[in-house]
Amino acid sequence: MTDVTQSVPGLYDGVASSIAVVVLLLEFLMLRAAMLRAQVRLYAVQSFAVSLLAVAVAYGRDVPELYVLAALSFLLKAVAVPAVLLRLMRNADAEIAGSGVLGVASEVLVSIVVAGVGFFLVGQLGIESDVLPSAALSLSVAVVLVAFVLMIMRRDVVSQAVGFFSLENGVSLASLVVAAGMPLILEVAFLFDLLVAVVVFGVLMRLHHARTQSLSTEMLTRLRG
Amino acid sequence: MNLVLPLPLVQALQVLTIALGAPLVTGVIATAEGRLQGRRGPRLLQPYHDLAKLFGKESLAPTASGLFFVVAPFLALGCYLTVPLLIPVLTSYPLPLGDMGDILGGSFILSLGSFVVAVAAAETGDPYAQLGSSRSKTFGAITEPVMLLVVFTVAIVTGTDLPYVLGATVRSGPDQIVRPAHLLVSAALFMVILFETGRIPVEAHGSTTELGMIEEARTFEHSGPFLAALRWGSWVKQLVLFTIFLNVFVAPWGMSASARLGDVTLAMVALLAKALVLGLVIAVIDTSFAKLRLFKITEFVAAAFLLAVLGLFTLYLGGG
Repeated sequence: MTDVTQSVPGLYDGVASSIAVVVLLLEFLMLRAAMLRAQVRLYAVQSFAVSLLAVAVAYGRDVPELYVLAALSFLLKAVAVPAVLLRLMRNADAEIAGSGVLGVASEVLVSIVVAGVGFFLVGQLGIESDVLPSAALSLSVAVVLVAFVLMIMRRDVVSQAVGFFSLENGVSLASLVVAAGMPLILEVAFLFDLLVAVVVFGVLMRLHHARTQSLSTEMLTRLRG
Repeated sequence: MNLVLPLPLVQALQVLTIALGAPLVTGVIATAEGRLQGRRGPRLLQPYHDLAKLFGKESLAPTASGLFFVVAPFLALGCYLTVPLLIPVLTSYPLPLGDMGDILGGSFILSLGSFVVAVAAAETGDPYAQLGSSRSKTFGAITEPVMLLVVFTVAIVTGTDLPYVLGATVRSGPDQIVRPAHLLVSAALFMVILFETGRIPVEAHGSTTELGMIEEARTFEHSGPFLAALRWGSWVKQLVLFTIFLNVFVAPWGMSASARLGDVTLAMVALLAKALVLGLVIAVIDTSFAKLRLFKITEFVAAAFLLAVLGLFTLYLGGG
């Protein structure tokens, strides 16, 4: 307890962890969002927050190539991917996500527990980073885990796609912490991986909607043993 | 203006400022809401007129009710007026009675006040008053953990749970303000305040639909001076919560560092000005959101709980 009170983060660390916390909070908001479009918009805002964190790191720790990464990830994840998703959804007439397996309040409580497990497991590893406070790494793992909860609990294709994409946001947050100096070409390769995922999910959404006339996955029970 | 006031007098002034300023804050919020909704709204000083009118009226009590029904409104007002002794209202340094109770003690006294009102409402036998009292206790039971987590986080940040110390910590520099624990906990506290003061999205303030009421329904059977005390009490509670939010968490500036008359007067004005700004923010929230369905209130509280828990988590990880 005592060492907790003594370690006051500096201004830069405070800002960086606050942005990371915002990323996690947006993940929780996605869990609560009932409208499919709202969910996509939340994903856009979350991607923007991740890009903002990249800019903060680039500025605060003097890693200029991160500016490029921030600009690329903003264009791709905050503008292009949401635009594609919204366009795909224009054809489907579904507006409201089917209710999850649990009620919203219970979903949030489950996610708090899951996020807490992630937090403390990663905190135990004691990974120190010289660009970001280690809390940001725990936060990114929490983002990944809550994204899993989102994909498991929600029963519609859009939520699952958005859950998968936001999981990637968590991973890029983690990569900012662990390897901010990672070669740019690798980062860009990750981003284009995401594009492949968007295409796959787009095809999936269309196919699913054409077959079942809805975006809900509730009817996909035929393969059950 | 360099007259140095004795400390007990400053402490009494803290209580007086809250007691006399609370109707003004309520009046300003009501007027601002009226303007935002395209109405003219009541006069700014309308709450004072209301109090004067109600104190001059006769009071009736239901036949089945006992002594507690009569005592409760004043007991509650007394509880709410005790809290300003414990929290930094005008001064940035602790006053003599300020260490009687910590931030947890203050919130216990606030809950005692609302418990007393709920018991008095349950005593009346009026179904609406009883509905209000049972609802306010049900939801109170789920906001209380959020409040506790906020207090725990404060305790970890400062190493103590005296509200004066947290105010000083926040004043000490920008790094204390941007730390995630502080931001998250402040947001959680703000949501609790929205709940406790009966604002949208929890409850439509001053509405007349009994079925949507929580806090407001409890006063149905009281009349005359008793109703006046209840109303005044709820306004005082609102300003007390605003003061805790502002002077401890968000804006602990503009408080008097000495006991000089000039400084203390300036602090009074500053406190009311800050409370009015917060009131305007709340008026905007009141007019731009819809009231939640009763069963959605748990989701609202779950969100506040999430913020507080995250604040605690980040603190433990050392990044908070």
